[in-house]
Amino acid sequence: MVCLAAYAGSVGCRVFDPRPEPATAAAPALPGQPTGVFTSERPTYAAVVNDFFGRRPIGEQPIEFPHDVHIKNNVACEMCHEGVATGPVAGLPSVRTCMICHEAIATDRPRIQQITALRDKGLDLQWSRVYGYVGEAHVRFNHAPHIRRKVECATCHGDLSQQTVAQRNVDLDMGFCVNCHNENKAPVDCLTCHF
Amino acid sequence: MSMDRRSFIKVTAITGTSAALASCGNPENQLIRFVPDEDIIPGQAVWKPSVCPLCAAGCGLTVRVMDADADVTRNGQVGVVRIAAAKKLEGQPSHPVNQGKLCARGQSAIQVTYHPDRITQPLKRSGTRGDGRYDAISWDDALSELVGRLDALAAAGNQKGLALVARPGASHRRALVDQFLARFGAPGAVTFELFGDDVLRQANGLSFGRQQLPTVDLPNARYLLSFGADFLGTWNSPVAHAVGYGRFRQGRPGVRGRFVQVESRMSQTGANADEWVPVTPGTEGVLALGIAHVIVTANLRTAADAGRAGALVDGWAGGLSAYAPEAVQKITGVDARRIERIAREFAATGPAVAIIAGPPLAHTNGLFNALAVNALNALVGSVGQPGGLFFTPQRDLAPAGSGAAQPATSLSALASGMLAGAESPVQVLLVDGANPIFTSPPAWRVREAIEKIPYIASFSSFLDETSGMADLILPDHSFLESWVDASPESGSMVASVSVAPAVMRPLYQTRAMPDVLLDVSRRLARPVAPPLPQTYEEALQTSMAGLPATQPDLGDAWAAAQAQGYWSGTLPAGMQAPAAAPAPRGPVAMTAPEFDGDAGQYPFHFLPYPSPAFLDGSLAHLPWLQEMPDPLTSAMWSQWVEINPATAARLGIGDGDVVEVASAHGRVRAPAVITPGIAPDIVAMPVGQGHRMFTRYASGRGENPVGVLAPVTEATTGALAWAATRVSITRAGDPDGRLILFAGGIREHVEHAR
Repeated sequence: MVCLAAYAGSVGCRVFDPRPEPATAAAPALPGQPTGVFTSERPTYAAVVNDFFGRRPIGEQPIEFPHDVHIKNNVACEMCHEGVATGPVAGLPSVRTCMICHEAIATDRPRIQQITALRDKGLDLQWSRVYGYVGEAHVRFNHAPHIRRKVECATCHGDLSQQTVAQRNVDLDMGFCVNCHNENKAPVDCLTCHF
Repeated sequence: MSMDRRSFIKVTAITGTSAALASCGNPENQLIRFVPDEDIIPGQAVWKPSVCPLCAAGCGLTVRVMDADADVTRNGQVGVVRIAAAKKLEGQPSHPVNQGKLCARGQSAIQVTYHPDRITQPLKRSGTRGDGRYDAISWDDALSELVGRLDALAAAGNQKGLALVARPGASHRRALVDQFLARFGAPGAVTFELFGDDVLRQANGLSFGRQQLPTVDLPNARYLLSFGADFLGTWNSPVAHAVGYGRFRQGRPGVRGRFVQVESRMSQTGANADEWVPVTPGTEGVLALGIAHVIVTANLRTAADAGRAGALVDGWAGGLSAYAPEAVQKITGVDARRIERIAREFAATGPAVAIIAGPPLAHTNGLFNALAVNALNALVGSVGQPGGLFFTPQRDLAPAGSGAAQPATSLSALASGMLAGAESPVQVLLVDGANPIFTSPPAWRVREAIEKIPYIASFSSFLDETSGMADLILPDHSFLESWVDASPESGSMVASVSVAPAVMRPLYQTRAMPDVLLDVSRRLARPVAPPLPQTYEEALQTSMAGLPATQPDLGDAWAAAQAQGYWSGTLPAGMQAPAAAPAPRGPVAMTAPEFDGDAGQYPFHFLPYPSPAFLDGSLAHLPWLQEMPDPLTSAMWSQWVEINPATAARLGIGDGDVVEVASAHGRVRAPAVITPGIAPDIVAMPVGQGHRMFTRYASGRGENPVGVLAPVTEATTGALAWAATRVSITRAGDPDGRLILFAGGIREHVEHAR
């Protein structure tokens, strides 16, 4: 710790500090105002550190959602991931989307009763994202043009008909994207994805 | 220990690696997520119209709305919910005022909604007045409390004991507030703006019969002579001016409009001019008449061309014999040959137009200066002609039979009335967006006057010096969460009304201020009669219903307003605000400007000016504006005094040294910025910093220059002459590190030292 303090001192802690003098600082927080430094985006120290280093651990999903059952019953992907054909983000469904069907279907199953109870309490499912890029990658992926070009969902997301909760079993690195773009004569300009 | 970004990253890189390896699990799972109130397609942006509320220009906005997670508390549980949130503001491309453009202040307006110090629910004072301690209170209790106070006033027959202070600027919202006050029996709203334009409005009323700010047809002008008007930075409708200025300079092949700026401190606008003419403060009108003298004497125009505007200036009919260039040189300090040259250019390069605003009007002879420039415009025939001055037709916002509110008093008269007796004549004060404690000169004693008021309720979204005195706070929605409207006074040739619905749901437990007033009007023991509209929306709809449809593809005026955020077109005859018939008056003679303070003891003119970032200080709470480098000094997050290099050398003041500026009324300290763009006998300070209480970003940052202003007023109109104070300056200490410059200064110094 001593070394660290000495190091910090030597790199120039004579610093830009725009805060006003403490004697005249603002009044205490008012009722109803947010306090503290954590946000819903980064609620813990671990989340802050992970975010800083661009680590994106796959979290546990709130329920063991059976993708396989839904696909077997011919529920199309875009029924629940409703933004996929129209915009950049496919979207993770809210419990309201589940209840469109499950108000009537399979109401005797414990998992359905569990999410119905959740909805009745005004609570939503806190899905954990499986795919996606960290900010530092400077990648802006857009689903819609890929769907228009009829790229199969499974190309990038694996065969979901064999999975319950989604697994990250395709590594979406730059090589993967560029290979497919080359094969399909899609543009490989930097600015296609990095803008 | 404080730490800069670079060292933070270095330290974190060492300590963080191990922490990252150890950290596992998924913190998001600890969150509670609530069911959203609306269906939102993720990742897809929707652009919705709105209106910028930060100044009176009334620019149209288009707002990018997308999905976002918001932290909320429901039934005592903290969690997140997906909302459709406003993410970016841009200018509305077809709006007649801003034409798709938006200034830096407008861009920052998004921070009003998401400000961490925004008031999220009704509050009741728990500490002493001004210490900022409040308890939560429900809307029902809060409204009952306010209604109880108003009922008590009505029961005592003292309806005049209700006062409301607001910012000036025409809108339906203001019209609704005035109707409430009128029907309750209270006097009209008291408005005060430090850098207000009342002198110019009155001068235009006298010269041209239109008591309003002019619109300059810059795209068609070829010569622009500006007397102190910071029209590209802060004055009137800066975005409209900037768009017009671009066309004035570069919009016509082979034609580059010529621009001359007359002022004693170089503004952002002056820095753009072809020619910058420093002039002795308060003598701008004399210079204008010197130019008119040359034009008339050289027979380029005849004096009679100026018509009524000319007749208002003493000596006009006689050819202005007292204003020969040599005589004008003695008064204004501008070289006689230069006056002659500018005059000939001005007369020869048509269309030519002159404008006046800012410091020249803030002297004791401000009205004379304005009338002189008006006469110069009339002389060259630039009023109502392409490339000249226009007056935008104004919508009459007061509905028929609404009953005019009793005339409002001025802020200074209100304050002195409250201080005069043992008991304040104002028993209940409502504060709507104004902060008169910060923006009024100390000699008016507005703070003491407000302290005497038994009950104060504020509709503010932030605690500032004035709202911090309130006993009850009923926070307004942000402009993105409610209906918003403005009636631009200038900036376009055609009449326009900006009206737009909410672009997102309210984030907090706030309510739209006009709706709260309407609710109060119904809850009173003796509800106001005739009843007011049910809601602000209904009032807007009723008002818009009368306007003709100008874009058939968008439907009627109301539908058009909702689709694009404004209505514009030709106003039917009955709907225009009547042009004020000018009171007949004799010619105004030249008077020398008077200054507060002895010239020996206080040798410098003090020039406060609206900050390009904060205007009069009402925007100092927005961090983007705090960190925006000032266009001329590159200073950010700070306050400063501008001093001429010769003066600084004489007084032994170096760049960044702390300087004390003292007048007979107060003193402030701030770091010096030595700049050649200011006359040697003038010191200037931007207004905006120095808030005692105004969120974490503005509180305690510098000192308020309004604190040295003398309560001098313009002789005829009674407007505050904010440029008429004399000050002394003394070096008070070494640089204290509070002046932060973007270019040079501390950053380069630190890099150099390494």
